[in-house]
Amino acid sequence: MSRPASGGNPYLNLGVLVLVVAALSLLPMMTTPYYIRIATGIAMWAGIALSWNVICGYAGYISFGHVAFFGIGAYTTAILMQPQHDWNFWATLPVAAVIAGAVAALVGWPALRLKGAYFAIATWALAEAVRELTTILKFTGGSGGLTTPIRNDDNFFFYTMLAAAAIAFAVCYVLLERSRFGFRVKAVRDNEIAARAQGINTTLIKIEAFVLSAIIPAVLGGINAYWITFINPQSVLNTIITDQLVVMVLVGGLGHAWGPALGATALFLLQEQLRVSYGETTAYIIIVGALVMAVVLFLPDGLVSLARRARRMRLVRQLIGRTRQEATP
Amino acid sequence: MTVLAVDDLFRSFGGIHAVDGVTFDVEQAEIVGIIGPNGSGKSTLFNLLTGVLKPDAGTISLFGRNITGLAAFRIARAGLGRTFQIPALFVNMTVRENLWTAAVQFDWDNARADADAVLERLELTHVADDLASTLSGGQQRLLEMGRVLMQNPKVALLDEVAAGVHPRLRQIMLDAIRGLRDAGTTFLVIEHDMELAQDICDRIIVMDAGKIVAQGSFEEISHDPHVMEAYLGVPTSE
Repeated sequence: MSRPASGGNPYLNLGVLVLVVAALSLLPMMTTPYYIRIATGIAMWAGIALSWNVICGYAGYISFGHVAFFGIGAYTTAILMQPQHDWNFWATLPVAAVIAGAVAALVGWPALRLKGAYFAIATWALAEAVRELTTILKFTGGSGGLTTPIRNDDNFFFYTMLAAAAIAFAVCYVLLERSRFGFRVKAVRDNEIAARAQGINTTLIKIEAFVLSAIIPAVLGGINAYWITFINPQSVLNTIITDQLVVMVLVGGLGHAWGPALGATALFLLQEQLRVSYGETTAYIIIVGALVMAVVLFLPDGLVSLARRARRMRLVRQLIGRTRQEATP
Repeated sequence: MTVLAVDDLFRSFGGIHAVDGVTFDVEQAEIVGIIGPNGSGKSTLFNLLTGVLKPDAGTISLFGRNITGLAAFRIARAGLGRTFQIPALFVNMTVRENLWTAAVQFDWDNARADADAVLERLELTHVADDLASTLSGGQQRLLEMGRVLMQNPKVALLDEVAAGVHPRLRQIMLDAIRGLRDAGTTFLVIEHDMELAQDICDRIIVMDAGKIVAQGSFEEISHDPHVMEAYLGVPTSE
């Protein structure tokens, strides 16, 4: 019995993940709360970007409404933690995941029949609808938003966010690179008609991938709501969140397991550095725009491809060296 | 034993009758060629049989089971595999991964070993880890054939599978078809190459303007006046 798998060496990939998580776990003992908050933000963005990579990079469907699931998660946690409900924080996360997953399945059923720009518009409309609903509904606090209980513990949020992002990475890696589900998803991305001819129920696979990609931001959104202690439609349902995570994935490497984490780290650090250096400025948008153009032109496979290029360059240098040696009398 | 039975199948696009009352049976381990001029309805017929298109009327039975109008993936799972007129590969996957993907609904547990065997049989081992998009046209058709081998279907529909393929690769492909046929697989083959049709087909069905105009052995159809008319434009009355 020998089952196939792609996506490189699993021991290496999951080993790197364990090492990264272990190294980051030491951070609270080594640095100030400011850097802990930065690291928490990076973990959150890496997780959300990873989720978008599932539906776009692996399934080939561009979602411009992914912020909806982040917002649904944030609002679910915030609502359930209100004094009248008084839920435990941990209990709110599975509920957030289930609600976001159900919304994704419900919307995905008709929307995933659309292709390209039509699907992108449908998901964008979903995000707008969710934002409008939270603005007008009473139990979401309207435009005034909701507060969550204050927990003044940066380390707690750092470890929670890191664990959620790491688990999301491990689950996505195993499902998309090491299981037959991943091959089905990628087959749909590459050629839907051919995928059906291989016996793949493409409608079901697309919905499953969409649900998976919705659950992750919902959980991260729930953690974020507790972390930042106040949410409103502008903070957790802002379209800029989708824009940002799309850019992170493109910069990091679309359809690659490590791409979103790399892109999220690079862009979040860049954004933070600009904020520290120049205060709240729109220069970030200009720089990100230039960065996206540079990536599209010179690094279409994103930052992850740098390692491959470096390897190739090393190989070229070795070959040149060998040729010179052979040419030497 | 009748494996595939097509009864009075109709499909039109606007005012054009692409498939117009087609009826035929295919026996087990038979290789049936479907020939006809461009636009005669051959590929539409394949798309109807494989569930890509739904027929306006008529029935299709696979081993006595009515599969008319079933979703394409259900028909594939029922044992009907196919290749496409224009190779429909998973272009961002390697050759090996394309073969593995063909087994996701079938013998997944042995997919790795099966793929290695198919790669060797089709002489694709040297490009196994290359992206499918980098293959030559002939190799792409071989890879499509490889996916059919991985599925191990009861009935395989091959759409111009040898078109533009190098003679040596073509021989490899024909050997694979004959090998599968000897193991009991039934074939329906769309082909423009008469030499190839004569070489491998037990029976030929000739289509023109969506209808079957003749069927029989290659010898029989090559003297059929309807075929002469369809191919050479010579009126039947002459």
